[in-house]
Amino acid sequence: MNHNRQSNDGKHDDDSALSDFLASLMDYTPTIPDELVEHYLAKSGFQCPDVRLIRLVAVATQKFVAEVANDALQHCKARQAAVVKDKREKQQKVISFDACF
Amino acid sequence: MRKSRSKRKSNIHLQQPTVNPRDFQFMITKVAVSQICKSVGFRRSRVSALETLTLVATKYLETLVKSAASFSNAASRTQSNILDLTNALHDMSLQVGFMGASTLYDHNNNCLLKSSVLESLSDFVSSTNEIPFAKPIERAKERESEEGNAVPGSFQERGGHIPEWLPRFPDVGGTNENCDKRVYGEQLWENSSSVLGCQIDGFEEKRCGSNNVGKLPKGRSRIKFRVNNGGRTRVGLNGISCNNVFGQSKDEEEAEPVAVCEKSVKSEEKQILVYKRRKKLC
Repeated sequence: MNHNRQSNDGKHDDDSALSDFLASLMDYTPTIPDELVEHYLAKSGFQCPDVRLIRLVAVATQKFVAEVANDALQHCKARQAAVVKDKREKQQKVISFDACF
Repeated sequence: MRKSRSKRKSNIHLQQPTVNPRDFQFMITKVAVSQICKSVGFRRSRVSALETLTLVATKYLETLVKSAASFSNAASRTQSNILDLTNALHDMSLQVGFMGASTLYDHNNNCLLKSSVLESLSDFVSSTNEIPFAKPIERAKERESEEGNAVPGSFQERGGHIPEWLPRFPDVGGTNENCDKRVYGEQLWENSSSVLGCQIDGFEEKRCGSNNVGKLPKGRSRIKFRVNNGGRTRVGLNGISCNNVFGQSKDEEEAEPVAVCEKSVKSEEKQILVYKRRKKLC
């Protein structure tokens, strides 16, 4: 009985946290528009009438692209720090093919 | 190092998928991806690099969604839910790694809703600023205005895959609300009371539709069409009146213009436009 009570409380906390997250998703506008995501969902066979899940997919993709870009930026900075030894020049950060992979 | 890089590049070129960079959705995705790169800190980019990153993003999205769809199909469902999506996210994040990846399929302590991937997504949403899409997007206002005028059995009710000229489906009592509910009261987690209690107004408004059901966007003046030529019958060479196709007897024709005139006098305030059909004599 105690284990059940604990699991129910835990589930309730998880529910509330996740439901708050889903509600906050409707406030947050992902960079990838909903219509574009819906096009890719239809192309891949994902059927869901819920707008919140579409936003979740858009946010997940945005997070992935942001992570890749961030890692590329770190690579770029590391490369420039190695090149610039004595001269301190400000170079604009350019994303290049090599830095992506 | 250079040789291996060139080899890597040639391999990637051989495996290039058949996505045309000039596709409309590709161009839009490229704009969104460049916005994300700008928010991270980049100021310029090479076109090839940006296109590659866009391709990767689209492939990620498609793969995520395809695996979510296959998860739902494996559970004999056609519509995916958040649990399917969570499982798909786990599959995509296994290479990078996340908390709790080792105990994913542990029967004792496993709760998909507690997954760290969802937690990291919620942290991302709360920590990063909103970056709305660069170009203005026309929302589907037409869909909302058409919803109110749905005729039973029409396009809006049964979708565009069924031509309108086919007859309606027989009524098997499927519109009864009790048919949608399960025997033991199960329902999707997203539709449960604990989640719906946290709804915000924006979400409900989008789902409930507009209040202007069946109303025209703006008022139109009343239009009335008259077929006979104001009661005048033109007699042709054969002595037959040319308006005989829609014609009536002479008495009625004489009575008609009077009636019309009265109506036009009364309804001048309402601005009834009377269109008269004119027939040319050959």
